[in-house]
Amino acid sequence: MKLLRTALLAMLATLGLAGFAAADDEIYREYFPRQPIDPAKGYLGDETWSGSVRYWKDAATLARNLSLAKDHANEWKLNLKFMDIDSDAMNSGHFVVDQGEALVKTLSGSEPDFLTCLGEGKTDLRGLGAAYPKFDSKLGRIMTVDSRVEHCARTTLRRELAQGTPDNVRITTYIKSLSTGTPLNVDIQSKPIMQAYARGEKLFYTKAGQYNFACASCHSPQGMVGKRFRGEAITSMFSDAAHYPSYRIGKGMVESMHERLRTCNAQSRTVSLPFGDPAYVDIEVFLSVLANGYPIAVPVERY
Amino acid sequence: MDQSIRVDPKLLVMLAVIALTACATAPEREPAARPGPAAEAKALAEAEASRPVPAGAFPPEVRAQLPKFACLSYTLPCGKVPTRQPVKQELAGPLNGDVARGTQIAMTRGKGNCIACHVLQGGVQPGTVGPDLSRYASFGRSDAETYALIYDMRWRNPDALMPPFGTNQVLTDQELRDVAAFMQSQK
Repeated sequence: MKLLRTALLAMLATLGLAGFAAADDEIYREYFPRQPIDPAKGYLGDETWSGSVRYWKDAATLARNLSLAKDHANEWKLNLKFMDIDSDAMNSGHFVVDQGEALVKTLSGSEPDFLTCLGEGKTDLRGLGAAYPKFDSKLGRIMTVDSRVEHCARTTLRRELAQGTPDNVRITTYIKSLSTGTPLNVDIQSKPIMQAYARGEKLFYTKAGQYNFACASCHSPQGMVGKRFRGEAITSMFSDAAHYPSYRIGKGMVESMHERLRTCNAQSRTVSLPFGDPAYVDIEVFLSVLANGYPIAVPVERY
Repeated sequence: MDQSIRVDPKLLVMLAVIALTACATAPEREPAARPGPAAEAKALAEAEASRPVPAGAFPPEVRAQLPKFACLSYTLPCGKVPTRQPVKQELAGPLNGDVARGTQIAMTRGKGNCIACHVLQGGVQPGTVGPDLSRYASFGRSDAETYALIYDMRWRNPDALMPPFGTNQVLTDQELRDVAAFMQSQK
């Protein structure tokens, strides 16, 4: 096996690809071939990934290319971004935003600390969702909007609003909706964030489950992006984090990013992890850095 | 998602009273005002246990065997389960596959689902991820090679996307034989 690994690494080096060399030496693990990504480029990193970003990089470009949505072979080039255009129209996710707003009003009406905790001292939550995930130096860990809601409910209301539960999803969706139109701005100068990014990147390429799939098996041009996976046109992961939580037409509900990751795992016959699991937080950081600069669109629909 | 949109303030007061009573009678079940990581982990695990399985999940008998395979967790036992190494499986005896059963397996999502990635005769809405196999019989591959490639493609191509259907027990030995027979019928 050692010989095979050495040969593989040599092969990767020849191709100019950096492998995840000799990590987890005790157990045998397979990785999808890694492609270099520059996190500083944010969503524009897709230029050297699937290349589809040139069809959806901004509203005007997207508007020019909308006819691709009806073109079976080229539909993938829009990366489903045409669904973001409906963000001001009525999709069922707006009901969830309204529910979240009412909840925040009620809960902070009886306990104003809840609101100031959500806003980290501010009571105006507009735009704050765009900086997540972020490292909270007071708590010593990376926070997502979902874990902030959970944390604030527990500390100021003594109430469980666990991540992934309906009320947490409602409030999270409401908070993210207050940043719609604001470009995602995860702090890549933060060391803990970039350490999480590196772990998330590794997980993205890690093959797991009964099908031995990595995230990259589907969401990379060397995998399935640009091809048909039965009825699906698989998306590039660049910019995806900007539209969570999303209203899932197929499920008839709003789902958080971790709900999506749980479903990804389940569909590829891999054990789904709990909401807020550190591995999912790392993947969320990775995906969010790769959506940096792309305007948040919540709530919008996805299939 | 349930429809409890409005939270009546009176209900909140009631809940608070119930919570405080519970605190008084069963303090070990309530987290402290500022819980540590252990309490948060416990709350997370409890919330998880109360969640329904994700939509799109496979049936219980499939899910039950998933912990035997690697997962992405840093803490769960499946995070330390080794990936099963590539196997070049010998075909024992003649193929004895059934084309009709093989067709069924190739077109069924919970079974082989070959059609999701390959163009095949007898299926609709094929994928384009893998090669077009609608003329597979003309490739001139033996039954043994066909069987071994469905069993585990990685012995030929370490970066293959195709799941190792035999090594990872997605299909039984007879089901692998049926699919191989179906492949050899693609003329």
